[in-house]
Amino acid sequence: MTPHRATRRVALAGTLALLARPTRAAGTLTVGLTPVFLDSDLELLRDLDAYLSAATGLGVRLVKRRTYQEITALLLAGQLDAAWICGYPFVQHAARLAVVAVPLHRGRPLYQSYQIARADHAAKRLEDLRGTTHAFSDPDSNSGFLVTRYLLAAAGERPETFFARSFFTFGHRNVIRAVQAGLAEGGSVDGYVWEVMAEREPAIVAGTRVIGRSDWHGFPPIASLAGARRSEPVRALAAALAAMPEDPKGRAVLATLQLDGFVPAEPALFDSIARMSAVVRAQT
Amino acid sequence: MRLTPLPRSWPLAVRVPLVVAVLMIAVSMLIGQVVLHRLARDQERHIADLAAAYLDGVSTAVLPAAIRRDVWEAYDALDRARDRYQGLTIVFAVVTEPSGAVLAASDPRRFPVGSALPADLTERFGPDGRLTIDEREELAFLARALREGTIPVGRILVELDIGTLIAERRTVRWTLIGVNTALTLLLAALGVLLVRRMLAPLAILRAHVATGAEGPIRPVDEAVIVRQPGEFAALFRAFNRTARAVAEREAMAARLAEEEKYALLGKLASGMAHEVNNPLGGMFTAVDTLARHGADPAVRARSIGFLRRGLSDIRDVVRAGLVTSKGRVGEAALTREDLDDLRHLIRHEVERRGLTLAWQNDLPSEIPIDRTMVRQVALNLLLNACAASPPGGRVTLEATIAHGTLALTVRDDGPGLPPAARATLAAVPDAPPPGGGLGLWTAARLAAALGGRIGEGDQARGTALTLTVPFGERELARVA
Repeated sequence: MTPHRATRRVALAGTLALLARPTRAAGTLTVGLTPVFLDSDLELLRDLDAYLSAATGLGVRLVKRRTYQEITALLLAGQLDAAWICGYPFVQHAARLAVVAVPLHRGRPLYQSYQIARADHAAKRLEDLRGTTHAFSDPDSNSGFLVTRYLLAAAGERPETFFARSFFTFGHRNVIRAVQAGLAEGGSVDGYVWEVMAEREPAIVAGTRVIGRSDWHGFPPIASLAGARRSEPVRALAAALAAMPEDPKGRAVLATLQLDGFVPAEPALFDSIARMSAVVRAQT
Repeated sequence: MRLTPLPRSWPLAVRVPLVVAVLMIAVSMLIGQVVLHRLARDQERHIADLAAAYLDGVSTAVLPAAIRRDVWEAYDALDRARDRYQGLTIVFAVVTEPSGAVLAASDPRRFPVGSALPADLTERFGPDGRLTIDEREELAFLARALREGTIPVGRILVELDIGTLIAERRTVRWTLIGVNTALTLLLAALGVLLVRRMLAPLAILRAHVATGAEGPIRPVDEAVIVRQPGEFAALFRAFNRTARAVAEREAMAARLAEEEKYALLGKLASGMAHEVNNPLGGMFTAVDTLARHGADPAVRARSIGFLRRGLSDIRDVVRAGLVTSKGRVGEAALTREDLDDLRHLIRHEVERRGLTLAWQNDLPSEIPIDRTMVRQVALNLLLNACAASPPGGRVTLEATIAHGTLALTVRDDGPGLPPAARATLAAVPDAPPPGGGLGLWTAARLAAALGGRIGEGDQARGTALTLTVPFGERELARVA
């Protein structure tokens, strides 16, 4: 698949969303979610909803879409107060977006991208996956696409030439499933998701093996439109996220997510991603 | 088709249950075949319906992915549907692109993305939408084209494991066999009991009939009869009536035989009296002559000679009578004279009817055959011949031996044997024949007791009956 021209597509999706979506009601908090974390866990979503509702006192609505692009478009279109997006779309729209909070994983707001291979595959590094079928997470995912795309670009390769075939699964968990099932020999996945799944769904993760770990990058942030960063719902959300470790419900959600908490962050946290993005764009 | 009949020697108590069992097996096999056929058809329809429902659901989910050639979405749809259809064990499901290359498969390791399906596998799928079944491998195959409007966007192929259905069929088959075998055995056992119960009265009847071999037939007790089913009660009563009739007939025959014996005795006695009386007249005349002219030595000698001859005749008659009436079976062997003696006993009958008696006795001095029984047979045949001959007729006796066999033939000029008498000779009945012929029956019985028989010879006129008794050359040589 050819990496897209993100800006145009996001703008188009945003326009469509604007036409389709009703305006947000007052006293509500609408948060968009992407598969940057385990969004397939409905119990977790219910607990998160319950915590945010209690902590903010607002009517919380969690919005899920299949792709990052759809959530990013909704956020840019003002349909969402905030969204948990990836660092890659954040740097692409850095001028219009502001960081509300960043998760702390193992004490740091950082994570890695993993290149994984099927457990019984001989590959030891990314180079060994040449000519195989590769599963990416999402074209707007840093760990699930950009990092690998960047590593290939640095070697003068492109996914469509390096791999025999590649496809998007639109979810980190799906990447792991695809590699484990044998649909693809290798995949690019969020290291944090892989680690959490290794504990929660060891049977699936056992079918995969990490063959490459990227540098540390800024953890996918909760972002809002820069103009709405000081709005009531967004401030309430930031406060609720910061207070999560102090609340039993919040702690339960954090425990499930294996996160330590949420902290404020500067956009500079995502500079490494921005650099990779620039390299890739230069190759296009 | 012709069934081989069961051996007649087998008892009914075996044959009937066997027939029941064979019929049961035939019926159960037929029913089993029908049931299994119906089951197989229902199962195939069921699996075809299930597979079609599966394809309906999966096609809907897969179609957009096939249009976009979205590997993950196609796989995800197949993977999610895998365990969602109860009663359907999917071995694999494959979505192919219009080129035939694999877009996604539920088992990607077996069917890698972009690979071509093996030809020997695609051949197992029938036309799109038609289920094909491989019963031996317990697999079913179904394929369906994926179309957006009229444009083909791919094909979905599914292989199903129908092992549970085959196992179910096998279970049904064994259940049928088990139940039918149990039923057959049960019915056969019931048949044995039932037939034995039904035939029990026959065993009673057989026991009563068997008593007839040793003595009089014993009728069945009325107390036993009333316990029997209607048909057998009627049969038993009919049997009792027959038994009574047979007993009466035997009693009558015994009485007749007794009477015949007395008649024979009377005939003998009167014959003897006559034979004794004949010389007596002459002897009295001789005594008178002696009384008057006894002084004349010539007259005296002639009269004494006459008296001596007369007394000798009387002695012969008496001796013949004694041997005949007092002889015991097995007392002595037959001699030539024993036969000649009989002439004295029938002379009266011969003369009374004005017959001519031709006597040719070629027997040696002694033959190892019971004399009493032979004499009785010969006397009976001679008396019968005398009775049958017309007045002035001729009765002939010829006695010879040849090849160790005594042959004693009596001929007459009579009208020939009546058919009843001929039948008596052909197969000597145990009971005397009704309506006379007792003499011949007695003779035939005695002949049989001697180990011989009485046969009828060819003769233009009258009757020729021959008693033949084999006795063995060696014994003859000893006595000759």
